[in-house]
Amino acid sequence: MRKMWSALDKMPAPATTYERIVYRNPSEHHYMKVCLEFEDHGVGLNVAQFKQLLISALKDLFGEVAAALPLDVLTYEEKTLSAILRICSSGLVKLWSSLTLLGSYKGKKCAFRVIQVSPFLLALSGNSRELVLD
Amino acid sequence: MAVFADLDLRAGSDLKALRGLVENAAHLGYSVVAINHVVEFKEKKQEIEKPVAVSELFTTLPMVQGKSRPIKVLTRLTIIVSDPSHCNVLVACTHLDVDLVCITVTEKLPFYFKRPPINVAVDRGVCFELVYSPAIKDSTMRRYTISNALNLMQVCKGKNVIISSAAERPLEIRGPYDVANLGLLFGLSESDAKAAVSTNCRAALLHGETRKTAFGIISTVKKPRPSEADEDSLPACKKAKCEG
Repeated sequence: MRKMWSALDKMPAPATTYERIVYRNPSEHHYMKVCLEFEDHGVGLNVAQFKQLLISALKDLFGEVAAALPLDVLTYEEKTLSAILRICSSGLVKLWSSLTLLGSYKGKKCAFRVIQVSPFLLALSGNSRELVLD
Repeated sequence: MAVFADLDLRAGSDLKALRGLVENAAHLGYSVVAINHVVEFKEKKQEIEKPVAVSELFTTLPMVQGKSRPIKVLTRLTIIVSDPSHCNVLVACTHLDVDLVCITVTEKLPFYFKRPPINVAVDRGVCFELVYSPAIKDSTMRRYTISNALNLMQVCKGKNVIISSAAERPLEIRGPYDVANLGLLFGLSESDAKAAVSTNCRAALLHGETRKTAFGIISTVKKPRPSEADEDSLPACKKAKCEG
């Protein structure tokens, strides 16, 4: 036993091991701030109809598989028809292009204006494009 | 980085709608727009309507959102040639003195793009234009747009492609980053898609300007005579649209 302890003393200390972890995309969700614009004012949608519109836009362009993507409406303002959406990062291109190509809702012409897109929700709190320069 | 440009706004007869369209484009972030006049090519000599003068459209041009400069408005002429004996895409790419070749989306293209004339066109500086507003209106058009675009990408590999809206109403334009995302759908890479809205558009405009110059180096400028009234002459770029 004593022999073993002395042998251990003479051994060099083991080198500390480092492990390198690289996150290519640390965020699994992307957040979009969008606003729905209608040709004639006075069209209102509640949040359920809004989500239905998003799902049907995805379904029209990409089909059932994309319509099943985990999409969340985080906030929704009925007066201005603007919302913050959350989608998993792999589905961002699909959602964005289906919003771009959406032309009408129930026969009325409309357009989605995408205001901000970011992998971080905090970035959507400030918009430098809306700054008013005096 | 080059500024964003939308080189195809369809000019209707209504000036007020056109004004709204340009204001909307400025609000969305486009720094350069071109008002497009479409003309069918007829055998006999025909009157080409006078392009809309920008000065009568706006007294003060609207400011581009995010920049302090006003939007730049140009005019453009598109000629539709549907007679295959007269002119087809191969000829347009190689010989005709044009800046852009529009790819029609209203029907499935009856011919396949061949690599040699496309390469000649890319070397000459001719750009290929895809429009996206039919895709917003109708689902059949969507399919044709995407299939024609994918066809083109297979051959030209994403070089010299520009994407523009053929918008007649303010709600048909989309923001520049949205259009760059559409480029990803059409088969472009990410950098090519952004270039399709900015760099390649600027290249097409400069190509149009160099047609007045000798080898793109020397240009002549008309000296304004003080006695004559000032005439605003906008650079009108000539472009051809071919079918069949």
